[in-house]
This record gives sequence, structure tokens and C-alpha cells, in this order.
Amino acid sequence: MSQLLARTLAATAVLCLTLTACGGGVPDTGAPAPAAPDPLDTAPTAELVERARQEGQVVVYSFTSRIAQVEAEFERTYPGVDLLATDISSTEQIARIRAEAEAGSPGADVAYLSDAPVVLDELLAEGTVRNYVPPRIAGSVPDRFREPLLASRLSTKTLMYNEEAHPAGPPVTNLWELTDPQWRGRVVMVDPQVRGDYLDLMTEVVLRSPEMDEAHRALRGGPVVLGDGIGSAGEQWIADLYANDVVLVGDTDEVNAAVGARGQQDPPVGFTTYSDRRDNEDENRALQAATGVAPAPGIAFPALLGVTPDAAHPAAARLLVDFLMGDGSPDGGPGFAPFYVPGDYPTRTDVVPPSGAVPLAELGAWTIDPAVVAGRRGDVADLILTLG
Amino acid sequence: MTAPTLAPPGAPPPPGPPAAGLLRRLVTDPVARLGTLVAAVLTVLVVVPMVGLVASTLRPTGREAWSDVLTGRLAGSLLWEPLGNSLLIGTATAAGSVLLGGGLAWLVVMTDVPFRRTIGLLATVPFALPSFALALAWETVFRNDLVGGRVGVLADLGVAVPDWLAWGPVPVAATLVAHYFSLSFLLAAAALATVNGELMEAAAMTGAGRLRIARSIALPVVAPALLSGGLLAFAEGVGNFASPALLGLPVRFHTLSTRLHGAVVTGQVERGYVLSIVLVAVAATILLAGNRVVGGRRSYATIGGKGGRRTLVGLGPWRVPLTAAAVGLCLATSVLPGLVLLATSFARRTNSFTGGFTLHFWTGASDPAFAQGQRGVLRDPQIVEAVLTTVGLGLAVALAATVLGTAVGYVGVRLRGARPVTGALALLSYLPFLVPGIALGAAFIAQFGRPVGPLPALYGTFALLVIAGTAYTLPFAAQAGRSAVGQISPDVEEAAVMAGAGLARRGARIVVPLAARGLLAGAALVFVNIVRDLSLVVLLVTPALPLLSVLTYRYAAEGFAQFANAITVIIVVLSVGATVLARRLERTARPWEETG
Repeated sequence: MSQLLARTLAATAVLCLTLTACGGGVPDTGAPAPAAPDPLDTAPTAELVERARQEGQVVVYSFTSRIAQVEAEFERTYPGVDLLATDISSTEQIARIRAEAEAGSPGADVAYLSDAPVVLDELLAEGTVRNYVPPRIAGSVPDRFREPLLASRLSTKTLMYNEEAHPAGPPVTNLWELTDPQWRGRVVMVDPQVRGDYLDLMTEVVLRSPEMDEAHRALRGGPVVLGDGIGSAGEQWIADLYANDVVLVGDTDEVNAAVGARGQQDPPVGFTTYSDRRDNEDENRALQAATGVAPAPGIAFPALLGVTPDAAHPAAARLLVDFLMGDGSPDGGPGFAPFYVPGDYPTRTDVVPPSGAVPLAELGAWTIDPAVVAGRRGDVADLILTLG
Repeated sequence: MTAPTLAPPGAPPPPGPPAAGLLRRLVTDPVARLGTLVAAVLTVLVVVPMVGLVASTLRPTGREAWSDVLTGRLAGSLLWEPLGNSLLIGTATAAGSVLLGGGLAWLVVMTDVPFRRTIGLLATVPFALPSFALALAWETVFRNDLVGGRVGVLADLGVAVPDWLAWGPVPVAATLVAHYFSLSFLLAAAALATVNGELMEAAAMTGAGRLRIARSIALPVVAPALLSGGLLAFAEGVGNFASPALLGLPVRFHTLSTRLHGAVVTGQVERGYVLSIVLVAVAATILLAGNRVVGGRRSYATIGGKGGRRTLVGLGPWRVPLTAAAVGLCLATSVLPGLVLLATSFARRTNSFTGGFTLHFWTGASDPAFAQGQRGVLRDPQIVEAVLTTVGLGLAVALAATVLGTAVGYVGVRLRGARPVTGALALLSYLPFLVPGIALGAAFIAQFGRPVGPLPALYGTFALLVIAGTAYTLPFAAQAGRSAVGQISPDVEEAAVMAGAGLARRGARIVVPLAARGLLAGAALVFVNIVRDLSLVVLLVTPALPLLSVLTYRYAAEGFAQFANAITVIIVVLSVGATVLARRLERTARPWEETG
């Protein structure tokens, strides 16, 4: 680049810095001040309804399109409060909520998203979203799903197989079997470097190294032998899985199609979402969750609800969170109905899990602790990078 | 750069130190003044987001990201290997697009090939298809049993498809070429259409052979357009995420774009931004090198004061095979994927033609048995609204980007003796292509979300979408503007200068009418890009401003492939419609041209 061009660019950069105080990227908020308790946090539902009517609307960012059904139900239940839903992925929500906070114009009142480790690590730590637990449900949601952010349900990334090809039950009973020659090139998952929840799955395996070691002893009769530069049994399993030609794809639907398609002689197994079984009939698939896998078939992770601190509609925001958590009936009622599907697990103890899926305890999936996962995620991502 | 034979309009550069001379020019020369204005606009649109991107990587965590990416044990898999793959894909995409697109343009514009209108129309379709549609179509044919699940058509027939043909760099490059050759075609056809018939005739009279004419007269004229097409294809080939994710991941074929995307979605945003800056640096190097190669012959004035009828080159014995090849190429890249999309939107089961067909996804009422009670797309008022918003946005951005692109092109071609300025403009107008959409979107929210001086906060407004869209599509508009203006002989303008016409009047009465064909082609490209783009707008849309591409993505993410495909069909219809309309307008804009 010629000197003059360089100087021109430098000058324009300086100019723009002085003109608009260039930001972009990550807001540099430092340590957030602890959020002062909002009187609305303890307000009874009736008061929220009244204030929400005055506010007139509520804006939500949602990582699931099922929010459209919530919208219809919410507006039927609370006429006069208009729900505006934008359906964008968790990753984009995180980028967007941050950019909005930085611009000082919060767009959403409520964020409904997954990617818990990133959310807790970044949004909650920065104070760009905060927790609100409706007082009426505090007793029916276990502590770990109330803090640091409220979780409305658990979704899964768990080992699934083709029940048409294996009518007798799961073909795999131990995660270490997936590293055997028999399963070479026949284990499918989304690339953990492309989709965060799969990175969480890999991280949880590493965090559960003692259990992985135990499962190895049960299957092979001896402890895990760690390779060069490998620090734990979980990391060794990931390295062995990659060495066994695990097939990586771009999204869960590809895993579902590969594992579940009917009419296959020798279908692969794969990690995917349990609740996707609901499409078996529509899609001519035979997906089934593998139960009884040692030490666990996969993970259960929370779908989180947060409110933005400077929400334009603070009362309506809280009313929507309250609504999304269900009305206390055994199936959660209309607010929870779109999420009452087999394979998704309600966090409320007074909601009966939908029939058609085994209970979470029987499935045996590990429920992740997002804060702990967040601490290890980067290391596991780096390990996977070196594996190719 | 060799000096042009004709002095440009405006004051000659006065002697003296170049910097001082440049300053004086900026005050006295209207073209230089326009250049300054354009540079200021580009600064707001491009430099500001870029600086934001760089600034965010200079914080402590960002500095760590720099060292992770450039050195250390991860650098190989995080940077060097994907970079090599990206360059491979980018180069293959550019070369393939230029060869196929340029060749096809020559056939359609310069020869007596039959069905030229049909071929010309079909060749513009692939660009209107989302790139994942072509990747899906490839999979439908070539998928083998490496991943499991349903195999493709060939494997189904018992043909053993090798892995290299089903997965990895070959299919990724092939699908991207199938997508971008139509871009090269559009640019090259617009340039070739301006080749002066008299020149060809004169050459033919002096006994020059066909090849010689093609090489010495047509090729120089079309070279800048081909280079533009190649550069755009390269940038897209490097930046495209859908194709490598679909066809590359199963064999662990990573490009910078998949690495970058992965870093952002797994919460390592700074690493993603660092990779993006690397990408910008690489592409900028290639752009500058490319401009240097063609730079000496950047502008071939082909539009003089008179037009002439064109005589077409006879293909002789080659007519049949070339026609078959052209039609085959067009069918394989436009009709086939289009039909696949259309057919799958009627399929009862996702991507399956054996599970029966239904109209439900187009016209059905809400039925819990179908896709969780979603209405058919033609019944959904949100879709109707999205069509209107999308078209409105496409038109607004096409207008804004074309005006800006024409100004960039005009300054780039006409401003002599100020290489740094023109070079900076060329670079700036190319950069937005290389910034990941999500970073660009976030930067626009951060910059324009709050009130700046007299500007109100634009967050959530249509205006912000237009501004971001203009920045994002500027590369197309500027390349189109450059090659369109470059073909207008300066003597036409000089005559006007002597008659006392100012810059504005020359622009309105000479430049725009004469460059109309290229500009309209560029505007159509911008429109198509906006209509089908997702990466940029996904952060900027609000429920009040639904866009078709965002709805497609939403349905696809939820596994409602039929709805996604149905909306994609609507997008394709809009895009192709825009392209056809642009060509109609071209003809009416230049009634003195016979287009055969």
C-alpha cells in the first residue's frame, strides 16, 4: 500500500474516532454494578397485568419460532398487551443485545435463548440481561434452574439410533464403544466448532472425566491410557472419537436424516435433539434415544429467560416471563403448550413431563452447569481444533 | 499505469509536490471534489464498522486472540490450513466463474447462437438462488454413504460415487462456480454489449480473423468486467459459509468462513474478528494486485458519439456443440435446482418425493398435523408483508448503492493523477464484502443505534437497513459503476465541458444515459443480493420489518424445509423478475442499440 494511501486511511480512522467515538464489537463495561432490586421483581401478577396494559406492548427475542404460538396465546390471555416477537438464533441475539446495549437503545424487553455458557459468561456478567423469577413460581422451580438465570425447560443433545434397524434396543451401551473399529465413520454429530451446544456436550464429557474413566474400566477392564498432551479421560474419549473418523455435519437436521432415515442397512448413530423424535412420522424416520448408556448418553441444557435492565416495558416483560413459565396446571397451560413436547423437560416440578419420552432420570443425560461449562469451553474448543 | 491518450476533463494536475498538488486539486477540480465527498460517505459506511472491528480486537482478550490465531499450537488449524483452503476455493470459484460466465456472455452477445434470449435469461438465475440451494442440489445427485442417511441419485442407481466428488473442495468449488458464473456473465454481457460494431466491422474488413477480433477488440473491453466478476466471485468464494458447511464439514474440510463462523457462535468473538481482519487483508492484497494487472488498461472507451449495428460472429460447425454446452450449463445450474426447490415445497415429507405431495405448504390453513399448525405461505399475512418490505428494501438499496457506485466508478475512472485517492476508493468499496455479516450488522447497530449529531437513533428503522444494505452491496455497485463509466469515451464529456456543462449536468445528460446498461445490470445485482441476503439483515430486522430471507432461515432452522423452500421460490421469482425488468429497461434506455 502506498504511503499516502496508508496516511489517508489512518487520517480517516482518526477522524471517525473523534467524530463518532467508534465502538463496535464488545461493549467495555468493566465489572457491572450489581443490579438494584426492582420493585417490579416482587410485584404480584395482578399488578404486572395492570402496568403492562399501560405499557401496551412487549418485545421478545426468541431462539425458537414456537414463540409465534406463544404470541397468539399471550394476546388472547392479556388483551391490550401487544407481543412483538423476533425469532433469531442465540448467537445473533447475543451480538444484537450487546450492540443495542452499547448504542443505548435496548430493542428487546425479554430474551429467550439457549447457549447458556456464553449467555452467563457474557450477557449476564456484563449486566446486559438480568434475572427475573416470578414470585409465584419460586417454590416450584429448583434452585439451579432459578439462578443465575431462570430456565423454563431443558433441551437435549443425546445419543440417538435408528430403531428400525435396531428393534431390540440401543446398539450402544457405553460411550467408549463409539471409539471402537465397529463404529468407525458411523458416528454423526454437528461440528462442535460450528454449533455451541455440541461444544457444551464435549465440554461436559471432559468435566465428567472420572465417570468416563469408570465407564472405560467397565467396558475394557482397565483405566484410560492418556495420549500425548491429553489431560483427562474425557479429552482422551474426544481424541479417540475423532481418530475413529466421527462424521461432522453442519446442523442437527442433517444428523437426524443420517441416523433416522428408514430403509438403511447399517445406519450410523449420532448426537442430536431428543424432541426431534416428534417429526419421525412426518419425515419417515425411526429416531430413538439410546437409554442405559454408560456413563451418560449426552447432555440436557437449559433454555433461559432474561429481561434487559433498561427495558422499555418492564412490567410487560415480567408478565411475559411469568406467562412463559406456565400457569401451574399439570401440562403447564397455554403459555407452556408450545414447549410441552416429548423430549423437552419442563423445569417446574409441578408440571408432569409429557408422555412419549422417557423421564430425564431414565434417559441418564447429564444436566450441565452452564457456569462450570463456560470455564472449560475454551480449552475443549482448542483441543478439538488440534484434532482437525 | 499508462497514461490515457486523452486528457480527462478538469484541470490538469499542476506541478509541485504531489500532496500539495492534490490538496489544490481537491478545491479546484469538481471531479476531485466529488471524490472527496464519496470518500467521506465511504468512511461512514465502511471505515467506521471496520475500525470498530479492529478496535474490539485490541482489547486484552482480543490481543490474546491475535496471538492464538497467528502463533502457537492452534494457528495451523485455526488459520493456515483454512486459509489455504479458502484461497483454493476462492481462486477456483473466480477462475471457473470468469471462464464460464465470460464464455457464455461472448456466445450470447457476440455470436449467432440460437435461443440467445433464453440462455441469457437462464444464466442470470443461479445468482438469484441462495447458494445453499445449489449445494443441496449437488447433494441430491452426488451424496454417497459416507455420512449415512439417504444417498443421492447416483449412489441410488448403484454408481459408486468417490468421496472427493461427494465431499470436500471439489463440490464446494463446483457449487460456488455454479452460483457465481452468472455474476460474471451479467457483468461481461453488459460490457460486451457496448463493443462498438464499427470497430468489429473495420477489423473484419482489414482481414482479421474471428479469434483475432475476439482477442484484440472484445477481450480488452470486457477485461475490467471479467476482473470485477472474478474478484467478486473470489471474495464470495472465500466468504461463503453454506457450501463448505454442507459439503466440506463431513470430511473436515474447513475454510476461513467456517472457522470464523464457528468462533463467533462458540463465544470466541474476538478470534472470529481477528480471522475476519486476516480475510480482509488477504483479499485486499489480491484486489490491489488484480487492479495493478488490469490497471494499465482500466478504461477502454467504447461508447463514442455514434452507435453502430453489431454483426454477429458465425459459429459454423461449432454451433451445435457450443449451444448444447451452454443450454446444458444453464439448465443444470438454474432450472434443475429451481425445480428441486419447487418440487420439495410440495413434498409431504422433507426432501422426499416418495411420501406424496400436498399444496398445504403454499395454501393450507392452520392444521396441527402440519408443521405445528403453521399456515401455508400464501395465507400468511406476515409473508405478504415480508414480500413488500423485501422489495421496498431491495429497491431503496439498489438506488442508493447504484448512485454511490456510479460516483465511485466515475471518480475512479476520471480522476487522474490521484492514484492514492482512487486506490483507496477501490479498496474501501470492496471491503464490506469481507466483513462477516454478523460483525457488520453489530457494528451498524452500535454506530447508528444512538443519535449521532443531527441524526436521530436509527435503530430498528428501515433507514438503518438501507444504510447497512448499501454498505454491504457497495462492492457490486462500485464494480458495475467502474466498468460502465470506463467505457464512455472522455471526448464525449469533453465536448460537453467545452459547451459549458458542469459536472452535475454532464452526469445527468451523458454519463448516466450512456452507462445505463451497466448501471441497471449493477442495480439488478444489488437488488438480488439484498433480496436473498441473510447474514447482514438478521441482526437488523424487527417484527415490524419482516424480510423474506429471515423467514426462510427461521423455517429452515425449525426443520420446516417445505416452507423454507416455498419462500425461497418466492425470492427466486422476485430476483429473476428484477433481472428481466432491468434488461427491458436497458433496451428502452438505449433505443438506438439493436440487441438482436
